[in-house]
Amino acid sequence: MTLVADTQLAGLLARTALGDRRAFGDLYRATSAKLFAVSLRIVRERPLAEEVLQDSFVNIWNHASDYAQAKSAPMTWMGAIVRNRSLDVLRRTREEPDIDDRLAANLADEAASPMREAEARAEAHSLDECLKELDAEQRQTIALAFFHGLSHSELAEHLRRPLGTVKTHVRRGLLKLKDCLMRVAAPAAGR
Amino acid sequence: MRRFSTDAAHALAAEYVLGTLRGQARRRFEELAREDRDLAATVRRWEDALTPLAERVAPVAPPERVWRAIESRLGSREARAESPWRALGLISAGFATVLLAAFLWFSPAARDADPVFVAVLTAPDATPRMVVSMHAPDVLRVRTVKSWRGIEGKGLELWVLPKAGAPRSLGMVRNEGDTQLRIAMADVRMLDANALAVSLEPPGGSPTGAPTGPVLCSGAIAPVKKA
Repeated sequence: MTLVADTQLAGLLARTALGDRRAFGDLYRATSAKLFAVSLRIVRERPLAEEVLQDSFVNIWNHASDYAQAKSAPMTWMGAIVRNRSLDVLRRTREEPDIDDRLAANLADEAASPMREAEARAEAHSLDECLKELDAEQRQTIALAFFHGLSHSELAEHLRRPLGTVKTHVRRGLLKLKDCLMRVAAPAAGR
Repeated sequence: MRRFSTDAAHALAAEYVLGTLRGQARRRFEELAREDRDLAATVRRWEDALTPLAERVAPVAPPERVWRAIESRLGSREARAESPWRALGLISAGFATVLLAAFLWFSPAARDADPVFVAVLTAPDATPRMVVSMHAPDVLRVRTVKSWRGIEGKGLELWVLPKAGAPRSLGMVRNEGDTQLRIAMADVRMLDANALAVSLEPPGGSPTGAPTGPVLCSGAIAPVKKA
């Protein structure tokens, strides 16, 4: 599957901001399968993920004019909306985490694997480079939290680690990531 | 209002974006980020850093009913329920728009040159707010039917939506009375013009070249057929 170019998605978002329903429909067709998958991983139930996708796109329709100020890539902006909505729904509904272990085992690889669609993107590349700098446990903890929306205590339970250890992995991992990203991004900042 | 050190702001923003900041703490952080621009910018930097990871998840096509549900919620920006009364309201508003257009068309002031096209721009609640007409050779007339209140210090920017591609600015228009813009039908910005819209912007217009403020009204371009 080829991802629609950022400039094209940004154009669709700008037209959506002006109330163009056809552009909004094109935007939905270009992005909904990715965004649905993102939500499905986190909320894990299809009806819930459908609800999230629905709410998120109504949100995107209503706030498309904010996009121009966000200065992020279109998929990043929309992805953040979907992820936030998914996490909102989670705190309402989830009692017991239910992790597919096979999936969880793949997660560290998933976070470390080379990107396919977005390969060309410089920031994605530097993110990959920086993820490699984390130690395996930090990377796995962060990937589990990111892709599956696990909380600290769910991470601890799933990884059979003390809560404090998990919190430290998350905190140190993110800090390392930040330092690395700033270092890698620095030469490009002068453009 | 600075509540956190830079390090603390980064740590919280990172866990917020990662999703490990939960419950009450998450909600409180959201509220703070809404008021604190620096904090919001830190959140955005973390979103830019982490969210692209989500793109490597294998796509799953959502069922068709999701799109239908979304579409049914677009007309009314807050109300979810479709009621027959609402539909009736929309129809009569549509009818009013046609009447208004007809009235403005044939009113003596607008008759000095036959328009090439006319567009009635309506607000999201379907109230007609502006009528735009193109007159040969190069006059685009924008007439405010109902002006906006409480937008002092802001500007109204007129956009043309081509059949494909990003909106193009036609210039700033006045909130009261008429604005005449010197634009020819052959102007490159009018190429494949499909619809027009007005957004609320800083006084000098959008700083980015794309609409940044809310869209106040929009409407399709209707060519005028010669009798």
